[in-house]
Amino acid sequence: MARVAATGGASGRISLLPRRGQMSWFEIALLLACVAWVGVGLAPSLADVTVLTFLFAGLALAWNIAGGYAGLISFGHAAFFGIGAYASTILLLSYDLTPWIGILVGAVAAAIAGSVLAVICARLRGPFFILSTLAFAEVVRIGALNWSSLTGGAEGLSIAPMPDLANMVLASKSAYAALMLCYLGLAFAVTRGIEASRFGYYLLAIRDSDEAAAAAGINPLLVRTGAMALSAALTGIGGTLFAQYFLYLDPTYVISPELSFQLALLPAVGGLGTAIGPVLGSFVITPLSELLRSYLGNAATGLHLVIYSLVLIVVMLYFPSGIAGALDRLTRRKAPP
Amino acid sequence: MSALLEVRNISRSFGSTRAVDDVSFAVREGELLGLIGPNGAGKSTLFNVIAGVIPPTFGEILLNGAVVTGWKPYAMARAGVARTFQIPKPYRQLSVVENVMMSAFLRTKSMAAARELADTVLADVGLTAYRETAANVLTVGLLKRLEVARALATRPKLVLFDEIMAGLTPTEVGAMTEMVAGLPARGITVIWVEHVLYAIMKTATRMVVLNRGKLIAEGSPAAVARDPEVVKAYLGEEIELA
Repeated sequence: MARVAATGGASGRISLLPRRGQMSWFEIALLLACVAWVGVGLAPSLADVTVLTFLFAGLALAWNIAGGYAGLISFGHAAFFGIGAYASTILLLSYDLTPWIGILVGAVAAAIAGSVLAVICARLRGPFFILSTLAFAEVVRIGALNWSSLTGGAEGLSIAPMPDLANMVLASKSAYAALMLCYLGLAFAVTRGIEASRFGYYLLAIRDSDEAAAAAGINPLLVRTGAMALSAALTGIGGTLFAQYFLYLDPTYVISPELSFQLALLPAVGGLGTAIGPVLGSFVITPLSELLRSYLGNAATGLHLVIYSLVLIVVMLYFPSGIAGALDRLTRRKAPP
Repeated sequence: MSALLEVRNISRSFGSTRAVDDVSFAVREGELLGLIGPNGAGKSTLFNVIAGVIPPTFGEILLNGAVVTGWKPYAMARAGVARTFQIPKPYRQLSVVENVMMSAFLRTKSMAAARELADTVLADVGLTAYRETAANVLTVGLLKRLEVARALATRPKLVLFDEIMAGLTPTEVGAMTEMVAGLPARGITVIWVEHVLYAIMKTATRMVVLNRGKLIAEGSPAAVARDPEVVKAYLGEEIELA
């Protein structure tokens, strides 16, 4: 499991993981590099992977709020992603409501779904909680498949590919990359804000011991519900952005278990319960999986998945606290005494 | 003076086992009540009932004269009843000071104020040197002190200590006893379950003895130590060890 840099942050020390709620130089540099990357203009071959990397970094940060800080490991976050995506898209197609407002409706809908899940699973811990999140997402997926009058069922929903800023259909992939970077920035800022707050401490409390938290006057169910609601809302926002980028939605991908696993995997690889971890996870894994798919996808069916899985196994075995944890140890060793 | 906490005819059964059987007693403000009894006497169960972790099968709990039976643990904590756990339950991945700040947040929203309160309490229990240490590397003795620090950081009116001396060296027991003895003067009433008898006997203002779920004696430490039923049930050989 990832160890939070509980002892980190002494002033003057070079550390990747600063005191909770603060930015490190590494993070500021990374953020500026991202802005420059988008600002300079993207080569067409890199545009798609950039958009996806930023989007998934934001989604990984969203998942990490519940899964990393509060220890509420969810294999059902695709449900919130799907709820966000469908809410804004249905509102756009059927009621002509701009996705700029629909994205908020989707976030609220996802937050409500997250709260309901947290309350239903109030007594479940560990594997039982994880399995119930998986089941919850399957219920949402099957519901979306069969309620075709609302969701279009298996045929899915399409948004007209006519660039129109008012409808959040952008003209270039660079513009989408900028939009996704804003999402990443929002998720990162929310994460840092949580870390610096009393609520953030409460998330860490319920991760380790509900009983101890309750003895300190913390209502564990309320904190769990809040964590899931916030995490789901941010995930729902990512869902809308995804729909506006691909301009097509169907339950088989948008609410798939594969997507749920992906959302849990990125923070786990990057470093659970750290702000930078999910970002690093997406920056490494998303391009890797896209490159493998484009180079090997046609050569031998499934080969890219084999290599992808091997890389994941290696990371999990040798970097149990994620990329962030490994980098943190590295920088500390090199730091002057 | 009216009672701060009153336990009225409390019983708690687990299946056919009656862990606590019709126990009644009261604690007045400023008291340091010792609660002793052999293993399995129902001390920890009684603590869990008072702290709201498990509801009683029968009976009532009153805090400042108001019925609080069935209140959740976090509601009891907010009402001013803090407790330690016999088996420490630290937030393993957090530092010592962060563990204590978590409790301090009950009385303040401010990060700085919480840290300040935590530091004061850490000094009280002698953990200042371990301030930045991660809780998962602490020894049992240090974890017990951390339990005490977390309870005190909620600024309680009443604190329930559950075997806070176990695993401590004699020197540490001495320092901790002195600290606990000073609590009533600071406005903190104490109910204290302890097996380290020499510590509790010289500190408690009054004792309650449980055996097999029943209250078998109540009175001053000296009177309780002479009570034939207490000697038979519990003290007999152990007092010599102490």
